[in-house]
Amino acid sequence: MRYIFLFLLLIAPGSALAHASEQGFVLLLPTNAYIAAGVATVALTVLLLARVPARAALGIFRPLLLCRRHGLPLHHVSSCTAALVLGALIWIGLTGSRDPLTNPLPLFVWTVWWIGLVALQGAIGDHWRWTNPWTGPAAVLSHVTEMRPLFRYPVFLGYGPGIAIFFSFALLLLADPAPADPARLALFAGGYWYATLLGVVLFGPRWLIRAEALTILMRSYASVSMLGRKGQHLAAGLPGWKIMARPRTSLGLALFMLILLGTGSFDGLNETFWWLGKLGLNPLEFPGRSAVVTPTILGLIAANIALVVVFGTSIWLGLVVARSNMGLTLAFCLFAPSILPIALGYHVAHYLTSFMVDGQYALKAASDPMTTGADLLGLGQFYVTTGFFNTPGTVRTIWLTQAGAVVAGHVIAILLAHGLALKAFGDHRRAALSQAPLAAFMVLYTFFGLWLLASPRGL
Amino acid sequence: MTNATTRRGALKTLGLGAAAASLPLWARYTNAQTSEPVKIGFQVHRTGIGAAYGRWYDRTTQAAVKLINDGGGINGRMIEIMAEDDGTDPKRGAEVVEKFANQHGCDVGFGTLFSHVVIGSSPRAGELKLPYFVVSEGHHVASGMLNRYTLQPGITDVKSQVQAMAPYVADNLGKKVTMIFPDFAFGHDHRDYFSAAIEAQGGEVLEKIAIPPSETSFTKYFPKIPRDTEVLYHVMVGPAVLTFVKELGEFFGPSRPEMFGFIDSLEAVDIASPGLEYLEGTYFWEGNPRNAQPDQSEHDKFYRAAVGVDDNGASVSDPTDVSTYAHMFGCWETLHVIKAGMEAAGYQGPGDRATLIEAVEAMTDMPHSQAHPQGAKIFNGKTHQVFGHQYISRVEAGRLVKVHTTSIEDTLYPDEVDYTTQAF
Repeated sequence: MRYIFLFLLLIAPGSALAHASEQGFVLLLPTNAYIAAGVATVALTVLLLARVPARAALGIFRPLLLCRRHGLPLHHVSSCTAALVLGALIWIGLTGSRDPLTNPLPLFVWTVWWIGLVALQGAIGDHWRWTNPWTGPAAVLSHVTEMRPLFRYPVFLGYGPGIAIFFSFALLLLADPAPADPARLALFAGGYWYATLLGVVLFGPRWLIRAEALTILMRSYASVSMLGRKGQHLAAGLPGWKIMARPRTSLGLALFMLILLGTGSFDGLNETFWWLGKLGLNPLEFPGRSAVVTPTILGLIAANIALVVVFGTSIWLGLVVARSNMGLTLAFCLFAPSILPIALGYHVAHYLTSFMVDGQYALKAASDPMTTGADLLGLGQFYVTTGFFNTPGTVRTIWLTQAGAVVAGHVIAILLAHGLALKAFGDHRRAALSQAPLAAFMVLYTFFGLWLLASPRGL
Repeated sequence: MTNATTRRGALKTLGLGAAAASLPLWARYTNAQTSEPVKIGFQVHRTGIGAAYGRWYDRTTQAAVKLINDGGGINGRMIEIMAEDDGTDPKRGAEVVEKFANQHGCDVGFGTLFSHVVIGSSPRAGELKLPYFVVSEGHHVASGMLNRYTLQPGITDVKSQVQAMAPYVADNLGKKVTMIFPDFAFGHDHRDYFSAAIEAQGGEVLEKIAIPPSETSFTKYFPKIPRDTEVLYHVMVGPAVLTFVKELGEFFGPSRPEMFGFIDSLEAVDIASPGLEYLEGTYFWEGNPRNAQPDQSEHDKFYRAAVGVDDNGASVSDPTDVSTYAHMFGCWETLHVIKAGMEAAGYQGPGDRATLIEAVEAMTDMPHSQAHPQGAKIFNGKTHQVFGHQYISRVEAGRLVKVHTTSIEDTLYPDEVDYTTQAF
């Protein structure tokens, strides 16, 4: 049977209806000039920084105190609410529409949460403290049962479970054939919520910050958000100000941050004509995700290893050039958080277009969650549109917004790496020298990111 | 000790939570067989390479179902659409078909567009004896590659579309043709069907220029176009189509040969887009004229309004959101064929699936009507393929103006299979 099927596939007459629209206009844009401008901006930032006095370079990360915090201890209440909302979504995922663009669960998980709320966490501030679905239920459970954690979280595990779980999440996102299937997603989300709660019951809240990948991700992104706490105050500052103020990152967390960027970068590369060409696939006739599961897994692993190696080499070269006696691990951990703004910039750039479309579906689903014909939000006859992909003006605006996110991420990363180097080395010249290779890496990465945006994609 | 007890208590609570979480599953399975509506499994390209088409296939399907249900449904039973995303992925397509048959208790499967998904799913539909109505325009149904349970009654196939173009091209545009096509199955179909058809009209193909699918710049291929070419036949698809048009304009300037293409290249793209000016005065095959024509039928008018498409083929809510007008009518018409077939068969439930197929096989003439707004059709029960009028439009002031309607006879070709001889 299988061979007959393969044979049929081989002799199949084709129907190639690959869509011309948005990417067609992108290919007509002067993206080479835009890329050059973007890369030049980042390179100029590097050159200017070498001339800026150390005090000024550090000063830009000084936050502005906004107001005194009047912290209402409601985060357990909001977390319990989040858990209830998640529960309801999982229920709808199991019982509601089978269509991933109608059922609210996949739209919430992949569009509202993964694209929107993660971007918000990195751009604005730490909402995860309020919106995570575990801390509240865990507190209630602990209060009701008067139970303390059964075990101490094993120190030797470090961020290992968190990295492993994030990698599994990335596999679901990138390699799984049907990550948006409502029923499957409901089982994944429900199972994961439950397993994590069990982890907290067994190992205490430490489970969340060492092993729960989504919390590690959210806390990492919160560290580059603009808003934050400083003493008793709410403060705002240039993304990265909180990293400048915090103690050294552990090796496990540093690796996690790099994997965040490596995964984000691969989730873009894997759609390009270039990658499909490497796999020997016709980009106009992509055979579907189930045909590329293994190459995707291998590619994801290779991309992450490559990034860690290149990043580590840049750090090592910096130490050599600056004649520093700082250990490589120490320096690796010192500079790793500086790539977070890049990862966030990629996140925004990569998902902007799908957010613009699927966000409309999410709105529609919120108005009619059980597909009963309800119109809770009063949307009326609401047709999802992708018209903004059809005119050169809007496509250019979208592309430049994406490119802006990538370039801004890199500029902030350069400033942050420089600030961290100044803090570590004290001496302005040594700081500049130590991060010169890293800066070169970031300039090249800007090129890579913009090239990804400009490349024709096959899926 | 106390601690241990409470821990156990907590774990027990968590255990109950897990059991409660799986409740909806039980509920779903116990309810599956008791529902009254006619369940149509809609295999839709929600994600993957076909998603842009999937959106419009969904919109057309919803509109057709609303119309049929408002009119009393099928044999008095409402249609319930069970939409499942196949990811435009053949392997998932087969799984979706399985879900339709085994999990959702669907009466039929419907709606698949991309050929590789149809070819991946159809064998499973045959094994599960699930009538599978595809809207794919591939020749795979009529070629005999599939099975008795797979039918294509709502959209014509590429072979008939291509061959029907040849008489008009030869009579009006020229007999010396150069073909530019992407170098894979889709392009090869055009190359083979059109070459044969134009030769039958006394024409000839001077050159066949195959472009690698991953190509994004075409200038280097244009010098291969012979100077005495009268008609350039192009069927480029994918993101580089706009670049292709732009570079073609730069190469030829004002003294170009006549140009004929398939709207597949620019489906869902505004023909008046900047960069496409060079297409002014060129010709396209259209499965269904995107722009409302002066002789627009009342049926097309009705269909447009029901789907929410304006006179330019764009969404009524956003004039820049151009529909996949040349293809999506197939969903509308197929659903009406399913309705007619079920009513003719006195369809009661899955036990009548074979009768339903026989009822559809018995169909011949499908008159131009609200159920068939694209035009009249003839269904060939032996090959499970419908045949119908094709349209040729000329780009005039950024609009597609219909200049020719083929006869249905122009689209016919000898049968390549007789599915009715296959056992159910």
